[in-house]
Amino acid sequence: MKTHKDLDICKGGANTKQPNNSSTHLLTNSSTDSEVVIKVEHVSKKYCKSLKRSMWYGVKDIGRNIFGKSSHSDKLRKNEFWALDDVSFELRKGETLGIVGSNGSGKTTLLKLLNGIFWPDKGKITIRGKVGALIAIGSGFHPLLTGRENIYINGAILGMSKKEMDEKFDAIIKFANIGDFIDVPVKFYSSGMFVRLGFAIAVHCEPNILLVDEVLAVGDLDFALKCHRKMADFRLNGGTTILVSHNLQVIKNICNRAIWLNEGIIKSVGEVNNTIEAYERYVNLSRNITFGMNRVRTDNYAEINEVEFINKTGERVKEYNFGESLILKIYYQTKRIVKKPIFTVSIFDIKDTLVTSNYSNWDGLNLDEIKGKGFIEYRIDKINLSPGKYFCSVTLAEIEVSNPLDWHEKCYAFMVSGKSNNYGFFNPFPKWIHRRA
Amino acid sequence: MTEQKMADKITTYEPDNSLKKGYISIFKEIFNEFKKSRWLTIQLFKRDFFAIYKQSFIGVFWAFIVPIISVGTFIILNRAGVFNIGNINVPYPIYAVLGIAFWQLFSTGLIASSNSLTKAGPMITKINFSKKSLVIASTGQSIVSFLIQLILVCILFICYKIAPSIAILLIPILIIPIMLFTLGIGFILSLLNGVVRDIGNALSIFLTFLMFLTPILYAKPKGMLLHITKYNPLYYMVSVPREFILTGTISEWRGFLISVCISIIVFIICLIAFHLTETRVAEKI
Repeated sequence: MKTHKDLDICKGGANTKQPNNSSTHLLTNSSTDSEVVIKVEHVSKKYCKSLKRSMWYGVKDIGRNIFGKSSHSDKLRKNEFWALDDVSFELRKGETLGIVGSNGSGKTTLLKLLNGIFWPDKGKITIRGKVGALIAIGSGFHPLLTGRENIYINGAILGMSKKEMDEKFDAIIKFANIGDFIDVPVKFYSSGMFVRLGFAIAVHCEPNILLVDEVLAVGDLDFALKCHRKMADFRLNGGTTILVSHNLQVIKNICNRAIWLNEGIIKSVGEVNNTIEAYERYVNLSRNITFGMNRVRTDNYAEINEVEFINKTGERVKEYNFGESLILKIYYQTKRIVKKPIFTVSIFDIKDTLVTSNYSNWDGLNLDEIKGKGFIEYRIDKINLSPGKYFCSVTLAEIEVSNPLDWHEKCYAFMVSGKSNNYGFFNPFPKWIHRRA
Repeated sequence: MTEQKMADKITTYEPDNSLKKGYISIFKEIFNEFKKSRWLTIQLFKRDFFAIYKQSFIGVFWAFIVPIISVGTFIILNRAGVFNIGNINVPYPIYAVLGIAFWQLFSTGLIASSNSLTKAGPMITKINFSKKSLVIASTGQSIVSFLIQLILVCILFICYKIAPSIAILLIPILIIPIMLFTLGIGFILSLLNGVVRDIGNALSIFLTFLMFLTPILYAKPKGMLLHITKYNPLYYMVSVPREFILTGTISEWRGFLISVCISIIVFIICLIAFHLTETRVAEKI
């Protein structure tokens, strides 16, 4: 009875439509327990690596349960491992939590546990309210049935009642906006239409808690915007969201808290920027593994034998301060005359986005020929790349770029440190001006 | 008000969840789930039903094919003297088709329900919904086939100019025991089939064997087979309703009542077992 009252109060708070309310609560830690909508206590989940063993364990566990015995799921058997290990966190009403981590870190497993699809092997999850999931949109669709038929069935599977469905049917069709295709079997839909319809149904379930797994990138731009707006509406109305994404930018923009999972363990949990920063730092360090692996040499008589990163004072460095000048020294060695040599330097960011690719001949360095030893300098006066790790590819080509003699593909890396007040890898330092009309 | 209720609803997930709560709450949970997911069950049935017949020309009338072929085979075998059908005092086709109709409630129902979780695999691993509804909905298919086959039975009644007893109106009640039995076993097999696929493969072979062991296409046998038949609850669940419809009398009351009890017990035990274990099937499928 008491909790009921408490919840009433907190609902009233949410109706004032002030999303920041809850986040300030979080920081000051003054909120009551009744605002907690998701409580995860020491939750672990194990998987089995061997299929045959997993089958055998499955039969055994089911057998034990049938006879009313516990399956002792808290112990590991042969070939089993913890996909999630002792995960605990709380989420209050109106908060938005991002979950980041590399592949196989347990993000999806955690979402499945929160959704009640998988059950924990250890620990306890308590959820207050209705959970909706934007995971694998449209997975309940039957390909042979039309969109219209699928709406009712899918709605029922997602937990809507007949009354709710009747009320929302038109809104769903309108939101999906797929025109005449609504009466065509789903089988003939384009993947975009499929997702549109699936998303339209899922968002009309009106949950209190929304689990989102990397779906916002689907559909065309128009629809993506619509989805973002719908999710924003949901948050502003006091909804609680959990978002799994590899796009850290999206997490930073939407979430106020974040969890970084690594191999099933929470590495960091808390305020979004701190967590993401910790995760990025970790990713930057671990990317070193592939470093220096990809070199293609097509000519035995010409090579790039060394590449050095140098700062303004001529010292060899690995790290540059934001705004400092960067000098790349490319040493070559040829045993024959290389005609019209072209040097190229390409820079990639951590997500493999090409930042720039420069050819020496385009930038005005037209050499007729080289032979023996020497070096080329590639200078950037002011490096205004955002802090982070970058990779360099360096090539030596003859006559034209498509004829490389020696190609060092992302063999070199450098860091940019410091702080840049922008998102994205490049800061053009814009000037902001305001004038009254 | 209901929205407030929804926001208040507390769900907990922890290992051996239901075991900790005790058996009485298990019944309550199951009952609530049934009540809540009635509409879902109907929708899932519609999904199966329409999907099967949408890409087919003769659609639901496939249900005619099985009884016609198997009964036809038996008539031919009997005429050729290879197989003795035994003493039956009604026209054989009516006897056999009605028997097969009841038998298929069990056999197609069991095959459908044991495959139901496996077939819905991707859905189960992505959406959280009542798996009981899925199993129950899958047996709806066998009821539809049964109704279609009843049309065939009615046609035969007209052809042979025989009137069925008034018991034909009790069919909705007469099929309850066999449906409960089918669902009960279907619950368990669907789980096991979800984990180990051998179950589904073995099932169809076993069902053919079981059909020939049960007097459906022939009269009640003598000798060794009689002893097996005596302890076969399926025999009573098929032949007693059939006898009742054809003659209006029931000669094997005792066997039938015991079979009804068995089917109820099987249903309840299997339902509870399913409830206790369905939580771990998604990760194994």
